[in-house]
Amino acid sequence: MHHRSFASARILAAMMAVGFMTIAPVAGQGPSAAASAAQAAEQPYTAPRTPDGQPDLQGFWTNQTYTRLERPDSVTTPFYTEEEVAAIEGRAATRESAQTEPGTIPDVHYDFTQFGLDRSQSTFARNLRTSLIVDPPNGKLPPVTAEGQRRAAEVAAARERRGGRWDAAENNQLDDRCIMMAGVGPPMLNTGYNSTYQIVQAPGYVMILVEMIHDARVIPLSAVGREPPPEAVRHWLGASRGRWEGETLVVETTNFNGKNPLRGSSDKMRVIERFTRVAEDTIMYRFTVEDEATWETPWTAEMPMRQIGGPIFEHACHEGNYGLYNTLVGARLEEQQAAEEAARPGRD
Amino acid sequence: MRTKLACLVAGAAVLLVPTPVWTHHAFSAEFDVEKPLTLKGTLVRWDMINPHSWFHLDIEDDDGTVVTWLIEGGSPNELIRNGVTKNTLAIGTELSVEGYQAKDGTSKAVGRNFTLANGERMFLGGSASRVGADR
Amino acid sequence: MRTRYVLLTIAAAVAAAGLLLVVTPATAQAPAYRAPRAPDGRPDLNGIWQALNTAHWDIEPHAAGPSVVRELGTLSAVPGGLGVVDGDVIPYRPEALAARDENRANLLRRDPVIKCYLPGVPRGMYMPFPFQIIQSQQHIMIVHEYAGAVRTIYMDNHTEAPADSWMGWSNGHWDGDTLVVDTTGFNGMTWFDRAGNFHSDALHVVERITARSPETLLYEVTIEDPNVFTRPWQMSMPLYRRVEENAQILEFRCVEFVEDLIYGHLRKPASQ
Repeated sequence: MHHRSFASARILAAMMAVGFMTIAPVAGQGPSAAASAAQAAEQPYTAPRTPDGQPDLQGFWTNQTYTRLERPDSVTTPFYTEEEVAAIEGRAATRESAQTEPGTIPDVHYDFTQFGLDRSQSTFARNLRTSLIVDPPNGKLPPVTAEGQRRAAEVAAARERRGGRWDAAENNQLDDRCIMMAGVGPPMLNTGYNSTYQIVQAPGYVMILVEMIHDARVIPLSAVGREPPPEAVRHWLGASRGRWEGETLVVETTNFNGKNPLRGSSDKMRVIERFTRVAEDTIMYRFTVEDEATWETPWTAEMPMRQIGGPIFEHACHEGNYGLYNTLVGARLEEQQAAEEAARPGRD
Repeated sequence: MRTKLACLVAGAAVLLVPTPVWTHHAFSAEFDVEKPLTLKGTLVRWDMINPHSWFHLDIEDDDGTVVTWLIEGGSPNELIRNGVTKNTLAIGTELSVEGYQAKDGTSKAVGRNFTLANGERMFLGGSASRVGADR
Repeated sequence: MRTRYVLLTIAAAVAAAGLLLVVTPATAQAPAYRAPRAPDGRPDLNGIWQALNTAHWDIEPHAAGPSVVRELGTLSAVPGGLGVVDGDVIPYRPEALAARDENRANLLRRDPVIKCYLPGVPRGMYMPFPFQIIQSQQHIMIVHEYAGAVRTIYMDNHTEAPADSWMGWSNGHWDGDTLVVDTTGFNGMTWFDRAGNFHSDALHVVERITARSPETLLYEVTIEDPNVFTRPWQMSMPLYRRVEENAQILEFRCVEFVEDLIYGHLRKPASQ
């Protein structure tokens, strides 16, 4: 059987398959300005076309990243140097593959690295940015409005009232309940692992299949622009419609049901995403979030998507969610045992 | 050499974003940190399912009774992209599993580390030394 | 001379008619519908489609009947149906038929769709929900409104299923104007309908999808599963295009709807 040599062969294969492209800073705004200016002077990449003439974004992509949404407090520049990023990735990789201390909570988990689910074994496009957020220029989310703060307090209070996490299935987070991954969005932030997308295009449509949890975003295209669904039709992922602006796919999403807030967003949130294939193996993914009920100004972020090999295997989460079931069973058993202990005669 | 996780966090505090939410805390509610175990047995079946895969291992007791344990592992999806299929781990493969038993007291556990009979790690991972130089 | 010409002409016509009678298939009527071409030259099956029959209740012919949930009255009573199974009766092995009947006696506990589990193939294709075909050269996607189920049909680089799944692993190719989809790698946990008709993980499905008019597809399915059936069998039905201008797949994210059903008995008691 192959398994004896599998581990070393696969590691070798994974090492050879790993690639990266440095996201060069915009000329004049950071290091290597001269290099990026020279790059811009070359012929910009033009994507091939689908049979019906759309720029071709098709394939399998990942937006795996080490870059945080917001700039760390200790960082004041918009770009790291190559060396700094390499060091950050190295430290993160060491953390991920280090053995946890036996008998501690972090040790009660399967080892991500054995299943290739850690970042250090992922393909990704290296990003020199110190934050995904590019606007506001400080790399941080804009100030929250009074209404946003009030809503955040209400949400926190409601969560308190619901009780403990293991009191009921619905007290858990959306991904534990296998309803959706928080990062699916839109905007599509990476999902920690399996942060994989498959894009398929047909006349009048772009489909983006998000691996977890097999969420297919079907985006209708129209030269004129399609009307959003009626107000009463609200979705976890909102309702999207797209159009091509030259080489860029622009997707507008509204009609969120507000049950998967993005950093406290409301159901009034409007997301505008832009997909541009900037190299054969890279799509630059940029999005703007508008939500006057939550933030004083819109904010914009950017992250590269790197082409990978497929496939996307079916991520049927709810069907296999034995973990949530087992945990609730265990919690009720522990309570029952504690109650029996307390009821035992002779206890003070 | 096992090292505390905390010691490796860099001073620049670059946190991984966003971490899969069902790490650590959820698992430590399903499995008991006070019930570590090491199981040696033969693979009966590997359910390559999500969100977590499950290894069915026949474990022989001291008195010769065979009990089938269910061991929780990771999503198979990235392994599949690396060429792993349902035929990769043969039925009957000897596996040694270090992990923690389920809180519900049944023959279930989470597998922290899976090792093959020849001492090799199952599937992937290992030293971090290959990172950095190759990127 | 003229008579001979006429006789020859008549003879030629008779011969030609004879040839036509011999050569033309007996079923030939109007020429078959030819679907518009997709930009890559293949028949264009893109669109939003939905079945309009009672196959999702019971793929075999059946009379109308009461609901298994008394309180719902007619809302979930079973409408009659002529069936979609060729030959009407599914050729179960005797022990499998007994298992089907046991399913039928325990629908509420056993039907996987009740728990919002993925519907499998072909059940997903005739659930009372629309689905969308998104057709490119390399991949044809089927996106179901029900539970957001997704099927990827690989049109080239055919490989075996790496592992078992709910919706199976589909390899497709064109046979003239017919899309042929060959699916294996099922986990055996899905049903064919709400009447307990089932299969094992040895299920092998071959679907043939052909445009039969601008607004309809002909959907033919061959089912093979030696663990359960004595022989392969077929079902067929039309699929109808959703022609509303704003037709779109909506979300039917049903996990939330069944959480109490599945986990409710594990809720922390109020007294504690």
